[in-house]
Amino acid sequence: MKFGILVNEGPYTHQASDSAYQFTKAALEKGHEIFRVFFYHDGVNNGTRLSVPPQDDRHITNRWSALAKEHQLDLVVCVAAAQRRGLLDANEAKRNGKDADNIADGFRISGLGQLIEAGIQADRLVVFGD
Amino acid sequence: MSDEDMMDDEAGGGVVKKFLYVNRKAPYGTIYALESLEVVLIGAAFDQDVSLAFIDDGVYQLTKGQQTDGIGMKNFSPTYRALEMYDVEKLYVDQDSLTARGLNAEDLIVPVEVLNTTQMAELMETQDVVFSF
Amino acid sequence: MSIEINGQTIETDEEGYLTNLGDWNEDIAKVLAEQDELELTSNHWEVINFLREYYDEYQIAPAVRVLTKAIGKKLGPDKGNSKYLYDLFPYGPAKQACRFAGLPKPTGCV
Repeated sequence: MKFGILVNEGPYTHQASDSAYQFTKAALEKGHEIFRVFFYHDGVNNGTRLSVPPQDDRHITNRWSALAKEHQLDLVVCVAAAQRRGLLDANEAKRNGKDADNIADGFRISGLGQLIEAGIQADRLVVFGD
Repeated sequence: MSDEDMMDDEAGGGVVKKFLYVNRKAPYGTIYALESLEVVLIGAAFDQDVSLAFIDDGVYQLTKGQQTDGIGMKNFSPTYRALEMYDVEKLYVDQDSLTARGLNAEDLIVPVEVLNTTQMAELMETQDVVFSF
Repeated sequence: MSIEINGQTIETDEEGYLTNLGDWNEDIAKVLAEQDELELTSNHWEVINFLREYYDEYQIAPAVRVLTKAIGKKLGPDKGNSKYLYDLFPYGPAKQACRFAGLPKPTGCV
């Protein structure tokens, strides 16, 4: 089966990102395909390069980056939601006159069209949120 | 040509799915109502079969007379009236949610179809993609 | 960045959009157009005014397809098409016309 995954909440504050990660990992282990993981609302904060969580607990962002690298996953962050929350790549930072960017490895910023496309192309779109 | 215009040519590849946007949260208190609407507006360019459902506190997204100066936020309720021009016309509201809040369809800024619980469940059953924000 | 106009300093961002939408007036629109080497004709103003009215009513800048349809309805099919709008605003109604009209900068979310 081909899955689209939507993550609507930020890391640590809400279990959504953890659940999405565990589901994605389990689906891949069972041989399913993950078409795209799309991050919306505070979910965009899963894509920050700057988080420094305590060492004795999971590193949510790094975990996503590692899974993406291992399975060539497409991790997409919505540009509008990211702009609102200060999640930028180098291009967005330049375009908007900001002095830094903070996007993590393996994540890319794009439009909501990528989410709609995931809905169209996947057999099932699973939403993780509040 | 802009990204938007190019999308019109290749949107969806001809596949048309039933997309349902479920809205259960009141506007302004949280971001979900506004950002859900933003997905609908972008998604409209993909020519899918779109419906919106307003349930629980989600019905408050559509009430008339929203005045937000006091909270310093943008009143975005007028944008729901633009949906028609985006060919998004199937708006469903849950009967029990209205009743529990002392509201009826006349209190809302756009024409809607009011559904009871069974009908709402039947609607959801028919959908291919269900977004919940 | 800033523009000097009628003795006032008006702030714009990296891409030439007004920092404060409340600063907008017709003279500013002309200056913004001049930056793109465009002179605003009555045809340009028709679209600019249409955009401002649309934004006033619906609190959003319309998507290109919606704008084209709506202009076609109001001003006729010879104006309600992509070619006409792109002839007037080569960088596109969404980006360029909205900038001249003092509407919020698009997020680029498509």
